[in-house]
Amino acid sequence: MITVACYNIKGGVGKTAAAVNLAYLAAQGGANTLVWDLDPQGAASFYFRIKPRIKGGSFSLFQRKRQLDDVIKATDYPRLDLVPADFSYRNMDLLLEQQRKPGTRLKKLIKPLRSEYHFLFLDCAPSISLVSENIFAAADVLLVPTIPTTLSLRTLKQLHDFCAAGDYAHLTVIPFFSMVDRRKSLHREIVDNRGGILEAAPRTYIPYASEVEQMGMRRAPLDTYAHASWAARAYRDMWQELQPRLLARRRAG
Amino acid sequence: MQKPSIYPLLRADKLDRWRHRLSNDLKLDSDAAQRCEVTYYDSFDWRLYAAGKSLQCLRGPHGAETRLVDISDQSVTASLAVDVADARFASSLPDSALRARLERLLEMRTLLPLVTLKVVRYCLRQEDAEGKTRARLYLESFSRVDGTGKRRLLQKRLRLQPLRGYQKAADGLRRKLAQRHQLEAIDDQLFAQALTAAGKQAGDYSSSLAIDLQPGMRADAAVRRVLSELFATMKANEAGVIADLDSEFLHDFRVAVRRTRSALGELKRVFPPATLQRFRREFAWLGSLTGNVRDLDVYLLKFDIYKNAIPAGLREDLEPLRAFLHYKQHAEHTQQLAPQLRGSRYRKLKQQWQRFLDAPLAKRPTARDAAKPVGLVAHHRTWRVYKRVLKEGAAITPDSPHPELHELRKSCKRLRYLMEFFQSLYPPRGIRAAIKELKQLQDNLGDFQDADVQIGALKGFAMEMRRRGEYTAATGKAMDALLAVLESRLHRVRAEFESRFELFASDTNRARFKHLFHPREEADIA
Repeated sequence: MITVACYNIKGGVGKTAAAVNLAYLAAQGGANTLVWDLDPQGAASFYFRIKPRIKGGSFSLFQRKRQLDDVIKATDYPRLDLVPADFSYRNMDLLLEQQRKPGTRLKKLIKPLRSEYHFLFLDCAPSISLVSENIFAAADVLLVPTIPTTLSLRTLKQLHDFCAAGDYAHLTVIPFFSMVDRRKSLHREIVDNRGGILEAAPRTYIPYASEVEQMGMRRAPLDTYAHASWAARAYRDMWQELQPRLLARRRAG
Repeated sequence: MQKPSIYPLLRADKLDRWRHRLSNDLKLDSDAAQRCEVTYYDSFDWRLYAAGKSLQCLRGPHGAETRLVDISDQSVTASLAVDVADARFASSLPDSALRARLERLLEMRTLLPLVTLKVVRYCLRQEDAEGKTRARLYLESFSRVDGTGKRRLLQKRLRLQPLRGYQKAADGLRRKLAQRHQLEAIDDQLFAQALTAAGKQAGDYSSSLAIDLQPGMRADAAVRRVLSELFATMKANEAGVIADLDSEFLHDFRVAVRRTRSALGELKRVFPPATLQRFRREFAWLGSLTGNVRDLDVYLLKFDIYKNAIPAGLREDLEPLRAFLHYKQHAEHTQQLAPQLRGSRYRKLKQQWQRFLDAPLAKRPTARDAAKPVGLVAHHRTWRVYKRVLKEGAAITPDSPHPELHELRKSCKRLRYLMEFFQSLYPPRGIRAAIKELKQLQDNLGDFQDADVQIGALKGFAMEMRRRGEYTAATGKAMDALLAVLESRLHRVRAEFESRFELFASDTNRARFKHLFHPREEADIA
């Protein structure tokens, strides 16, 4: 199993859209895929029309009373399952702190699923905290949607430095451009002249598009209702680029 | 995926009427009828079936989907939105869980269609207030178009497909189906029914020999039964060899020919010499006819291993060799093997061989061992060949020339075949253990032979490729690297021979073989 965390310290950058759409494409391509909606806001669960609630709340999961396996829900799409969000995730930091070895609790929880799924996408809440540390320990790849603005790049740099300083040598950080608006000169400039930490970014970028915003209304992956759109094509192209890199990551691991 | 429940419907039931009833009663959404077809696949030797799986390709208006399904509970092991008919081998499927599973199960075997069914299907969904599907029900009718173009109904059924995490919804539907509609779930019989309708029987071909003989049988009758079995294997594989579906058809065909030759050679006192001589000559011809293509098949089957054994920088330069091997294999097959197998010499051999196998047993046979009990003959012959193997093996020193090892390899094969022909005459555990010991020695000798043949062939290929203008300096370098790999392999297995043989000739093993095959006083018929 390859664990891909869609993560950014900032919110509203297209994390959930990336997790949902890329997971959908992975499942379409034949891989058993699981999405774990870790954001208490439950946007990914909402997109899949699944109630953002797990039996016993996150408390039962972290107190080892319930296995992750028990709370998995099938989505309406073949090979694609979801661990729904729960409002109690907002207190996950506190819960984790009460555990022994609080930094690797998440990793322990997903371990039994390794043989069942090929990809696990973690849709993470924006923040940098003990939860983030758990995510970094559990993930193989950190997929970081990045809006091409100065502040976003600065955040990306912070994230990079944090990972480099911590004990996360196993983690591959892959940033990608999200919500790109080519009418803006700054966006154009940054996307066209990528360097430094952005060299690892896929060539494909996700455009700022109303079709993506419509996911909230349609409550379905983009590809199912706007297959021919530019944004849907961008996700497909990006998945084409990412998949071999992720598989190579598994072989290396 | 979760295990579905299957409810049989009456043949006269109208699916559309059921759809209305269920949608109204259980508050389900439903779509219009979907017409599609499903084709079941397996390898010629039923490898998927043996592993408890069936491969189904569903083709409908929205494209195709291929699923590997567990026969026992109908759960889906892996699936992919592809038409498996486009892929001759599992390795030509897109990189996926399905491909990985199939590659492991099928190895070099190609997928063959078993039976195709026409399907009419209604999908009914139970949705919650959010529009999320909680369970699916399928009303399905399956029919098969027979040889005369007539459509024959196999089964009508209702299938409840639970979704992970929505067990309660499925349980509720199950309860209502039982209480309100008096429906009772049964085990799924569709695959078995479809095979029967197509006149096929699962697992009806296996390349391993299992011939049930009694020690008191007349030797000529028993050996004929062995030969008939081998002939059936040859005939079963013939069409696959001619069509070159996969390399295993020729492999099994060739093994049956070799076993036949071995039986005719080792059991010569069971049949009249004149008859034997004619058939031995013809089967020898058949053996040599199939040799070249098999050698090339082996080369191609091992190609990836070889490629990965040479330095990484040279690997891609070896590809022209693969292309050449494919070309040569194809040429040998279409110009030599296939025409000869369609030709009169082979046809005549088959007719005469069949006549020989079917002829009544002579009341007073001329051949010395013909009327003796097969138990005695088997004991005696196997012991003789075993002694020969020991003698030939002991004579081999580190300086012995290669042909001596090849001779020993052939003797080992003869021994192995005799042990397999007469397996049923011996205690199963004892004979299996003895075969296992022999196999270890054979593996070593086989690897040596393969490397030796391949080294010899490689030099010839280089020359031929040069003539055809397919030989560049880079490919030459890669082939030199391959030659070095093969040579080191040859030396390694050669160096291992002594210790392997020592194990085979150990006291424990000698005791094992003696216990099984040593001719007792009354059995000594030499």
